[in-house]
Amino acid sequence: MSVEELVRFDGEALGHARHTVLADLTLELRAGERVALLGPSGVGKSTLLAALRRRLGQRAAWCPQEHGLVPPLSVYHNIYMGRLERHSALANLVNLLRPRRDAWRDIQALCRELGLEGLLKRPVAQLSGGQRQRVAIARTLYQAREVFLGDEPVASIDPHQARRLLNMIQRQHATCVIALHQRELALTHFDRVWGLRDGQLILDAPARELTLEDLDTLYPDAHSPDASPEPA
Amino acid sequence: MSAERAPGLLAGDSLNLRLARRSLGLIALCLVLLPFADLAITTHDPWAELGRMISGLLRPDILATQSLPHAIALTIGFALWGTLLGVVLGFPLALLFPRSRLLRGSCAFVRAIHELFWALLLLQVFGLSAVTAIAALTIPYAGIFAKVYAEILELTPRAPVDALPEGVGRFSRFVYAELPMVWARLSSYTRYRFECAMRSSVLLGFVGLPTLGFHLESAFREGRYAEAGALLWVFYLMIASLHLWGHRRLLPWVALGSLFLLGPWPDIDGALLWRFMSVDLWPKPLLDGDLAGLWQWFGEIPDLLPAIGNTLLLGLMGTAGSLVVALLLWPLACRHFGNRPTRMAGKGVLILMRSTPELMLAFIFLLMLGPSMLPAWLALSLHNGALIAFLVARHADAIVPGSHALPASARYTYELLPRLYGGLLALLFYRAETIIRETALLGMLGIATLGFHIDSSFAYLMFDQAFFLLLVTAGLNIAVDALARRYRPREIADTIGEHDRSTGEATC
Amino acid sequence: MRWLVACLLILVSTAATAETFRFTAIPDEDQSRLEERFDKVANYLEDQLGVAVEYVPVKSYSAAVSAFRNGQVQLAWFGGLTGVQARRLVPNSRALAQGQEDAEFRTYFIANHDSDVDTQGDDLPKNVQGKSFTFGAKTSTSGRLMPEYFIREQFGAPPKSLFSRVGFSGDHSRTIALVESGAYDLGAVNFKVWDAAVADGRVDTDKVDVIWKTPTYPDYQWTIRGDVDDRYGDGFTGKVRKALLDMHDPELLESFPRQGFIPADNDDYQPIEDVGEKLGLLR
Repeated sequence: MSVEELVRFDGEALGHARHTVLADLTLELRAGERVALLGPSGVGKSTLLAALRRRLGQRAAWCPQEHGLVPPLSVYHNIYMGRLERHSALANLVNLLRPRRDAWRDIQALCRELGLEGLLKRPVAQLSGGQRQRVAIARTLYQAREVFLGDEPVASIDPHQARRLLNMIQRQHATCVIALHQRELALTHFDRVWGLRDGQLILDAPARELTLEDLDTLYPDAHSPDASPEPA
Repeated sequence: MSAERAPGLLAGDSLNLRLARRSLGLIALCLVLLPFADLAITTHDPWAELGRMISGLLRPDILATQSLPHAIALTIGFALWGTLLGVVLGFPLALLFPRSRLLRGSCAFVRAIHELFWALLLLQVFGLSAVTAIAALTIPYAGIFAKVYAEILELTPRAPVDALPEGVGRFSRFVYAELPMVWARLSSYTRYRFECAMRSSVLLGFVGLPTLGFHLESAFREGRYAEAGALLWVFYLMIASLHLWGHRRLLPWVALGSLFLLGPWPDIDGALLWRFMSVDLWPKPLLDGDLAGLWQWFGEIPDLLPAIGNTLLLGLMGTAGSLVVALLLWPLACRHFGNRPTRMAGKGVLILMRSTPELMLAFIFLLMLGPSMLPAWLALSLHNGALIAFLVARHADAIVPGSHALPASARYTYELLPRLYGGLLALLFYRAETIIRETALLGMLGIATLGFHIDSSFAYLMFDQAFFLLLVTAGLNIAVDALARRYRPREIADTIGEHDRSTGEATC
Repeated sequence: MRWLVACLLILVSTAATAETFRFTAIPDEDQSRLEERFDKVANYLEDQLGVAVEYVPVKSYSAAVSAFRNGQVQLAWFGGLTGVQARRLVPNSRALAQGQEDAEFRTYFIANHDSDVDTQGDDLPKNVQGKSFTFGAKTSTSGRLMPEYFIREQFGAPPKSLFSRVGFSGDHSRTIALVESGAYDLGAVNFKVWDAAVADGRVDTDKVDVIWKTPTYPDYQWTIRGDVDDRYGDGFTGKVRKALLDMHDPELLESFPRQGFIPADNDDYQPIEDVGEKLGLLR
């Protein structure tokens, strides 16, 4: 059985207008693969995710690092934004004033699963950091796309919760690429690990072949025994 | 090791030193030009009249004014509808603002003409009606809203837009991911504009529209000070209690209710409007294509250059004066100085000074000091200085003081002023445009600025001349604004995002 | 767009008061409780004319002229100069009546006592030169036009070169206040305003007093638009004139304030028109 190849980079350089962040990048993303993206902050994880997002277009659901939520709007409306492009401008406008029945029902169910029940009407500005992160995830899930792209979507969430959320994400999305800093989760919840360091992809291997020590090599200060790999 | 030499007076490259040099430059320029200004004090005995004024203010006669509630309702109605329609027009314009140079130019033009002059123009067509009053506020406000809204929208955070799925339409993107992000700032600015509109609405009474200002000006002009005092107190009270009755939920009802009081609406006569716009406003020789006649027409305009000179000089003096007044007065209303009663008193004084129409301040000084530029200068400096001081004090209140207790003078010079000075200067430079606009207004007191001649032209029913002078005034305002923008220290311009609320306020 | 909104508002509101006869008046003295006082005049005219009559309060001279020109009022109590302005702008409009005092109106020149100007004489004292001087409103006949005319006639020079400062107080009462306080050395006021202020004890004549009374000239008058006969019926102009001349109730006359009204016509104001043209206030 051949596996569909979703994206392929072949010795490409990624970066901004004048500044190359990732040089000579070669990798491929196949359908059905759950990929953890690791590396110290500033190494280019976001750049890589943005490039994947561009390539995948309508097939990817995107959960950005800073959430990109609209604090004055309610939880419901923030999550609804995941499907903004599927309704007409007028329908969207009316929905601002009076929520759509069907959307409300779906989002309510989604929120129940994410532990956000009873908060639908509350402005995001009034939520805690962890709650906001879950709203951002909910919005991405609500997009219901083929591939989940997440930039640290479980960064400020306790390990137990993080596991639960990753399970939820992966239940809905056979394919995902998620930037993480919790190395343990990379090994337990993913099929494959991409490791970035010094502007290079230095690790691209199945998760089951890797140990925590292998992952430590990605972080410059990992030689000190009790170094935390990266601040949250 | 060579010791670092202590810098000389005002030498150095820090931002505040540069700001200080620039402000001293402004004051120095003002002092150099001062000999050209007529500042003689000629009064002998103002005390009888001043005494009558003070006793009127202390013993106001609230019942003297006929139909006072009606005047109050109209004042509010004009302000509300003027602001509302200004928003309705200004908001769409704000969306096009960054894209069209023509639009930016037209907005600058309508802004540059004072509400009172708009009223005088519109009066010729719509008479003393609500249409005149509301349009006189709406037209310049649309220009102001277009500019300020555009500035606010420009600062919309990008993150929510970037997070949207692909393929979201422009409109949906705007109402979901952009507008809500700046809604609070837009509405707080609109609210502030409404306060300005209240003041302007009162001022419209000075040209005869039936607001509070109509009765206030008549009473004051004719020396019925008990009545004038009562009206002034009513006005202060209205401004001070705005937060009570100006509630978001209440305003739509006030707006609807006031509609019933605004009539009777004038019959708009198309021919009249057309005659005014196509004939009255333009020099006759121009319409006849008579170039030699146009030259002669131009020659009949009285003292154009001295008027421009007077306007600019008074504007400069007013700006420098406002700077000094603001520096002296802001601690009055600031929580870092004095105690509760002194602060309350200080705030009260600042609100009184900034709310009292400049024309009245100027008249009081005219009585005390005699006719010259001095009363106008004092009135402009006090009014605008108090306004800036009030805003600076509010900025200062947000600063958390250091842990060690400093004496008040050190707190002022070391702890607070260095952090506030940039903002203060930004406010002042923004205000410069408004000060120029107001000098035109004080021309009505007989100081021969452009405004004096505009007022005369309207009185002599020479609308072509009035219109020409209005164009000159508008051009002058736009030039001064551009100049102030250029000389506003760049660092302040860059951080204007933090100040935008109060800089917007400074343009009131 | 604005006009569209305005038009919509007009449609919404009713107030299509078609054939109400409207008038306005410029009282030069006391503007307090204007509406109350002039509503009585309106009632009187309503009884006499048999149409609805409304008083439109107007503050400035120029606003009154504009209202008259635009047909927002059909009848107006104008000053000498404003009446001429209005009649030049509205063809066929005519002066109907003037106050008994208006045929022989005067301006008083007043001076602050400390300014050391000799009092009284047949002419304006010579030593007013170099003093500061204030007119009233810019288009007031008694506060601006005629005093400027007499100054020019006597000294052969415009006020600006004669006095150290020339101001426009905007109002007769204010002229008195400014001269009394010494803000200006001299001023020109409507004689009726001065007399009333002295009678009420509102001026301290130890501080300010009259130094010269001008010769007489015609001033205030009622002016009516030429189109009223078409709108309100033939002979309407005559009816209005009769109603004005028949106004004898002191309570009504007090508003103007005049003893009574006498007939007047456009030609009575030719001297005012000549002076206005000469001074460049009319063109």
